[in-house]
Amino acid sequence: MVTAMDGSSMSSSADGLVNLEMDSQRTLYPYVTGSSVLGIKYKDGILLASDTGGSYGSTLRFKGIERIKVIGKHSLLGASGEISDFQEILKYLDELILYDNMWDDGNSLGPKEVHNYLTRVMYNRRNKFDPLWNSLVLAGVKNGKKHLGVVTMLGVHYEDNHVSTGFGNHLAVPILRKEWREDLTFEEAVKILEKCLTVLLYRDRSSINKFQIAKITEEGATIYPPYSLKTFWEFAAFKEPSKNAQGSW
Amino acid sequence: MEAVKQGSAAIGLRSTSHVVLATVNKTSSELSSHQKKVFKIDDHIGVAIAGLTADGRVLSRYMRNECINHSFVYENPLPVGRLVVRLADKAQVCTQRSWKRPYGVGLLVSGMDELGAHLYYNCPSGNYFEYQAFAIGSRSQAAKTYLERRFESYDKYSGEELIKDALFAIKETLQGEVLTSKVCTVAIVGVGEPFHIVDQKKIQEMIDAMEVTGEAVAEDEQGDDYSTRGATSMES
Repeated sequence: MVTAMDGSSMSSSADGLVNLEMDSQRTLYPYVTGSSVLGIKYKDGILLASDTGGSYGSTLRFKGIERIKVIGKHSLLGASGEISDFQEILKYLDELILYDNMWDDGNSLGPKEVHNYLTRVMYNRRNKFDPLWNSLVLAGVKNGKKHLGVVTMLGVHYEDNHVSTGFGNHLAVPILRKEWREDLTFEEAVKILEKCLTVLLYRDRSSINKFQIAKITEEGATIYPPYSLKTFWEFAAFKEPSKNAQGSW
Repeated sequence: MEAVKQGSAAIGLRSTSHVVLATVNKTSSELSSHQKKVFKIDDHIGVAIAGLTADGRVLSRYMRNECINHSFVYENPLPVGRLVVRLADKAQVCTQRSWKRPYGVGLLVSGMDELGAHLYYNCPSGNYFEYQAFAIGSRSQAAKTYLERRFESYDKYSGEELIKDALFAIKETLQGEVLTSKVCTVAIVGVGEPFHIVDQKKIQEMIDAMEVTGEAVAEDEQGDDYSTRGATSMES
């Protein structure tokens, strides 16, 4: 093990002389990032929602990034955080699903297995101080059982009836906690999500007004085309902001 | 393959909800205990072996490892079909390398997974087959004949009924020797029932019940079997 001057440790390789490249393999900060992802269970399955923006620091550089993808037959994966790491994860999962299909034996990887696999991947990368800088939302339905879970870049993982990542944790979770019920219809679930997305649009500076909703049920997955939400900026408090704004918010 | 035929009998039967394994415990002498022939691989999979027990132990360890690794990564039990393929591939390697010898043990793999109940037979050649019911080991032909007559109705059997039939089949292989719970080991796995070896007392009760109701094995079989009754201490 070699320890560099800034205290970072490099992993030992078979040939100890050639580890000049080691340090640059660590992720230090994310570059192109996606904002929140929301997930909600409803009667027939699960809905995921996210905006389609990719920020480059404070610039909203990319406006058409699909951050929710279909995995295999039974699952959807949504990600916030570093987009290139998300693409890397999609490659890993692609390989996983491919090998699973090659067995050709009637068994298939369900959402629970994919969730756990991702947890292992994320946790192991974190232990190497080279994390995949994402918060992932994994949703799926298999044999009637709905599964909705999150894995973070540290390897923290949990499941719930409704989840969100990033700013959603602060802004959307209170709304979801108040309004979620067992047996929501598709339309009701969409309305709740749109409410959360609107709040995020108003208050999260890295979100844009272009969203995608994806649905997964026992029958399969659908990713709906992007659309935008109506916003209202004519609040009296917004006019003459320095006069009307009270407090630092 | 010969080693499998000389080991003492192992039998498996399957319904849509349960799988039962039963083995005959042969002791090399009156003084010794019998060798272990039934191994729990995971909560949902168990095996019965016939042949070189040492090889069986090693393969069981391999299977347990595979199951545990899968459970760790995917938090779901390993599908039985995938386990037997890995086992078969491992056995096949030994048939194609000149410096290796094949594993001298046949395995009856019983398990439950999402697709239902399974019973597989893995042989030393690397082949594997799925069965409704099967018997391996010495004098297994008698059991097989018995099973062939009855297997068509097994799908709907409950766990208890399967165990009863397994005991009958074991009785066939004993060819006249008295069937007691000391002589056999029975294990079961099923829906909501993790793999476990059935308690000796319960087996003895079922054997006694078999005799009392006079469910004599009226079927007359001429078991054309292997007359080899002797076995080296390696095999059981």
